[in-house]
Amino acid sequence: MATVKVTEQKVILCGEYGVGKTSIFRRFANNTFVASSDRKSTLGLDNIDKEYVVEDRRIRLQLWDTGGMERVASVTSSYYKFAEAAILVFALDNSTSFHLLSQHLLDIVTYAENAKIFLCGNKSDLESVAPQVTDVEMEQFCEQCHNLISGIYKTSCKTGEGINEMFEDIAQHLVEANRSRMELHEMDKDRFKISYIDEAADPSCLC
Amino acid sequence: MNEEYDAIVLGTGLKECILSGMLSVSGKRVLHIDRNKYYGGESASITPLEDLFGKFKAPSPDESYGRGRDWNVDLIPKFLMANGLLVKLLIHTGVTRYLEFKSVEGSYVYKSGKISKVPIDQQEALSSDLMGLFEKRRFRSFLMWVQNMQEDDPKTWDGFDPFNNNMSALYNKFSLDKNTQDFTGHALALYRDDDYISQIAILTIRRIKLYSDSLARYGKSPYLYPMYGLGELPQGFARLSAIYGGTYMLDKPIDEIVIKDGKVVGVRSGDETAQCKQVFCDPTYVPDRVKKVGQVIRCICLMDHPIPSTSDALSTQIIIPQKQVGRNSDIYVSLVSHTHQVAAKGWFIAMVSTTVETKNPEVEIKPGLDLLGPIKQKFISISDYMVPVDDGLNSQIFISTSYDATTHFETTCLDVLDIFKRATGEEFDFNKVKHELGDEDQ
Ligand SMILES: Cc1cc2nc3c(=O)[nH]c(=O)nc-3n(C[C@H](O)[C@H](O)[C@H](O)COP(=O)(O)OP(=O)(O)OC[C@H]3O[C@@H](n4cnc5c(N)ncnc54)[C@H](O)[C@@H]3O)c2cc1C
Ligand SMILES: Nc1nc2c(ncn2[C@@H]2O[C@H](COP(=O)(O)OP(=O)(O)O)[C@@H](O)[C@H]2O)c(=O)[nH]1
Ligand SMILES: [Mg+2]
Repeated sequence: MATVKVTEQKVILCGEYGVGKTSIFRRFANNTFVASSDRKSTLGLDNIDKEYVVEDRRIRLQLWDTGGMERVASVTSSYYKFAEAAILVFALDNSTSFHLLSQHLLDIVTYAENAKIFLCGNKSDLESVAPQVTDVEMEQFCEQCHNLISGIYKTSCKTGEGINEMFEDIAQHLVEANRSRMELHEMDKDRFKISYIDEAADPSCLC
Repeated sequence: MNEEYDAIVLGTGLKECILSGMLSVSGKRVLHIDRNKYYGGESASITPLEDLFGKFKAPSPDESYGRGRDWNVDLIPKFLMANGLLVKLLIHTGVTRYLEFKSVEGSYVYKSGKISKVPIDQQEALSSDLMGLFEKRRFRSFLMWVQNMQEDDPKTWDGFDPFNNNMSALYNKFSLDKNTQDFTGHALALYRDDDYISQIAILTIRRIKLYSDSLARYGKSPYLYPMYGLGELPQGFARLSAIYGGTYMLDKPIDEIVIKDGKVVGVRSGDETAQCKQVFCDPTYVPDRVKKVGQVIRCICLMDHPIPSTSDALSTQIIIPQKQVGRNSDIYVSLVSHTHQVAAKGWFIAMVSTTVETKNPEVEIKPGLDLLGPIKQKFISISDYMVPVDDGLNSQIFISTSYDATTHFETTCLDVLDIFKRATGEEFDFNKVKHELGDEDQ
């Protein structure tokens, strides 16, 4: 089905080491989860494309992981260049990762000026066991950011909960942004409907 | 940091980042450290503009310069040859995907006090004032001979053996005059001095072919320049290294390279020591294993207009051949601008550089500065050109040479490939990388 070339929208993952960025990347890539912190398992994987259809529009999200550079150093500024969207990830069971978000946000607005920004609280499966960040705090954070944040999500890479919904919603935001930016067609009054085209059968997929 | 690695790379300049990427891709466990807070070392593009002014201890820029963070100013000016080694490395490693390039709009050469465009097609060549009509004809036969000759097919050599005759003999074969030789050796073969004339002709022929192959790729000039500045290049290779498992540490001072029985065994920072079998670094990390063989002067010029007589080009290169201004090494001028996202709207960055020959280097670059028109702000730096005195075969410390005055990356890549071979005993296998990255569109 996907024969027409659709321009890719670069989406980057940002946030502290250990919050689950690579796990989100892995869920997006092949819908798997690795419990151990075996960082080697994504070696050589740079970015992954996946096509979404928002009503009649196709859009390709191209997800980028940091490559673990944030562990001791900072991520290169070129990681942010040309990004259309940035997902600001923290872990719901780790308040430090939440409080350090503003630094990552600053990097995004500095180096990826035009990117839409989304907030993602990951490890929601641990929320009931070791809750550290509340919904109210997340909402307050968004208010403090003067509406810089286009969407808030809670995800669990362990159970897979919320992951697809997040990317579908991001796809919708980017389609809307493109639509108004390019003024290609009149805005649709109806709600957008999104469906995800399963590419598992695509042989060009890695793994 | 207290772990064991196959290789520790010190400094995140372009050469070290390419090496780090190549080593990680080859399956080595790599730790990559920089004493600075930022990536790139001398190959970084400085941003925001306030940092550049601060670096040279100048008072802050006024508001006419626009937004500080719209600026990304290179410290070392260079362009990529479109068909050159760096582009090959970028494509084979997939690092191209992190970058966007623009073709440089024109290349100029200085002759008798003014500049002329280096012709890029027959039409421009015919109207060019670089040479007289008869000389043009001779030069044309020379270029056609170069284009047609195949190294492995003596039938195409037309009786001239390029492996056993020097360049001077080839110039004589076509009766090219001194001005044309100047133009050929410096604007096409991109030599910095005239030593090449007495060397075998094939070396120069290869360089002229590289020039025209590069030109054939994009048409306007053989050169490319990355959006957001050259600092994007080391970062791209650093990411490649990280993706393949390399570990990065910035802002980490190096206190000692630990040696045992003449061989490197680790690197110490404070009371932490990382063990390793090999170290790769730039000269600044090992002052006792390098020697100074010269100096390079570079002058960054911020301007609110393009260079006069270049048809308002937003990017250009000008080569001032040594003999034209009574020197032993060429002066280079390069210009990039807001169109490359390296300067605020309406601004241009020119850089004049050359190898230092006298006690008064600022006077040496004057012929270059004089071509630029009014300059709003000038920053001059003079850096030592260092080469290793240790080839690393015993110590296992592999040191890159400083960045030279050439305006492209050919020597940079040759140094890197040579270091890689010395350290691993094998040539870098370009094919190792590509297909593993799952990149569809190449
Ligand atoms: C820097 C430079 C200066 C030149 N100056 C002169 C000059 O003063 N007088 C003169 O007669 N000729 C000059 N030429 C050569 C000229 O532009 C023609 O390439 C040459 O005359 C051959 O023409 P052709 O019609 O046989 O080949 P064409 O059919 O034009 O081209 C044959 C092949 O050469 C390539 N090519 C064509 N033009 C160029 C070019 N300019 N550079 C690189 N590749 C090219 C084409 O892509 C093609 O692959 C110059 C070339 C260069 C690169
Ligand atoms: N329980 C739970 N663990 C998670 C979740 N996401 C990631 N992890 C674990 O958290 C650790 C760090 O994840 P990783 O993706 O490497 O984080 P990164 O450093 O941000 O890339 C790993 O051990 C993961 O298995 C999640 O949603 N729930
Ligand atoms: Mg990770």
